[in-house]
Amino acid sequence: MRTRPDHDGKESQVTTPDVASTAASLRDAIRSSDLRLSKYNPLPRILTFDDFNYGAHGWVELGGNYNGRGDLDSMDEHFRDFRPPQLSNQNFFDVGTHGGMTGTYSLKLATRKAPGHTATAIRRLTMSGRGLLQIEAYLAWKVEANLGGGEEANRYGDITWDANSHPSEAQFGAFTVATDLSHDGIRYHNVMRFQNSDWDGHIVQKWMYPTVAEPTPHERFRGEHDYGRYTDFTAPNPDDWRFVSDRRQEACYNEVPTKVNWHYLRFLIDTSTRSNVELQFNNDVYDLRDVAVPPYGEKYESLESLLNFYFSVRTLGPHRNFLFLDSVVISADW
Amino acid sequence: MRQSQSAVMERGVDLEGVHETEPFETAWAGEARWYVHFLRPAPGSEVEFRVQISPDGINWVDHEGIAPLTSEAVGLLSIPVARFGHWLRLRSEQRSGTEAPMLRIYLELKE
Repeated sequence: MRTRPDHDGKESQVTTPDVASTAASLRDAIRSSDLRLSKYNPLPRILTFDDFNYGAHGWVELGGNYNGRGDLDSMDEHFRDFRPPQLSNQNFFDVGTHGGMTGTYSLKLATRKAPGHTATAIRRLTMSGRGLLQIEAYLAWKVEANLGGGEEANRYGDITWDANSHPSEAQFGAFTVATDLSHDGIRYHNVMRFQNSDWDGHIVQKWMYPTVAEPTPHERFRGEHDYGRYTDFTAPNPDDWRFVSDRRQEACYNEVPTKVNWHYLRFLIDTSTRSNVELQFNNDVYDLRDVAVPPYGEKYESLESLLNFYFSVRTLGPHRNFLFLDSVVISADW
Repeated sequence: MRQSQSAVMERGVDLEGVHETEPFETAWAGEARWYVHFLRPAPGSEVEFRVQISPDGINWVDHEGIAPLTSEAVGLLSIPVARFGHWLRLRSEQRSGTEAPMLRIYLELKE
């Protein structure tokens, strides 16, 4: 244990680790008494705290890259329609306003009713240090309620309505939390996806990650790819995805599409090693240190110290899929 | 300072007959304005716009205070909206003409 001299040269009884420990304890105590932050477990420096009762806080539709004339045709087709995020009071046909976990509003990402369509909101920062970086959120996922139809509306994929399970649960595809980071000439994405169901409505409910880097507009510019409108932009080939664990991640969809229960998500990464560290979903914690993060093979200009996080939601059927974010905290240890 | 949001509801959609924007939640906003830009005009056509509201984002009705607006499918137009409740969408319908215009549609919201 190191000691340090005090102002008149004598060794102090207060050690540096003790000071750090005291500071951490004080920080924890202050945070735990903060009614809005006590539900979070941030790293020492909170970079952003997004309470959607007070606006969208910079979460914006992910946009594609366009040419010097702003031509729509110059934009990757699968990057043209990620949908504007909505400040939602969770207004439903059966109960009226559901509201947020805290206050009235949450941020809502909504897909179209088109199989494969993805809605994506991104938060754009840069990094002023290297080390641990974490995003936390309280979130919920739902499917647009269906009104009317025949007996077929009571079945979808694995689920037939039984007043406990509801077919809409099988109509939710996936949501994803991910980064877009670049420093010292190397760009990479940390990606975690909750795959709820497959294209046929069979329940999956497992965490997944891609083994390849996301296709970029620069690659399309060079003629290396040209994906269609409903492509999975994060990693288009299903063969490039792996399960984090074969264990099913059970959750609280809560029976019908208009009951909302908030779930805690925490995704920890390390920018000093460009690696994943840990994923927490409610009380389940996944060790991600062996989950590789595929970097790009070439240097990208204009992106030094890029620090982006995005959330996306993808439907695999003709149903609007929604991801609601009550609030989001991004923190770092630098 | 008042909260505000501009949402690009369509970035370049071909109007093939009738088009309705995706449901958009507006409970927090006190005023709204649509902008429609004919990225590819269709001179000689008539396109009608109706502002629609909803109690649940599923069932829709024309806003009682805004008469349908008919345009000549060129240029940029706007429609101010007040007292719209919790959901908004814009319905576009080509009433005449053979060439399909391409639209960019913005929704501006402010507390």
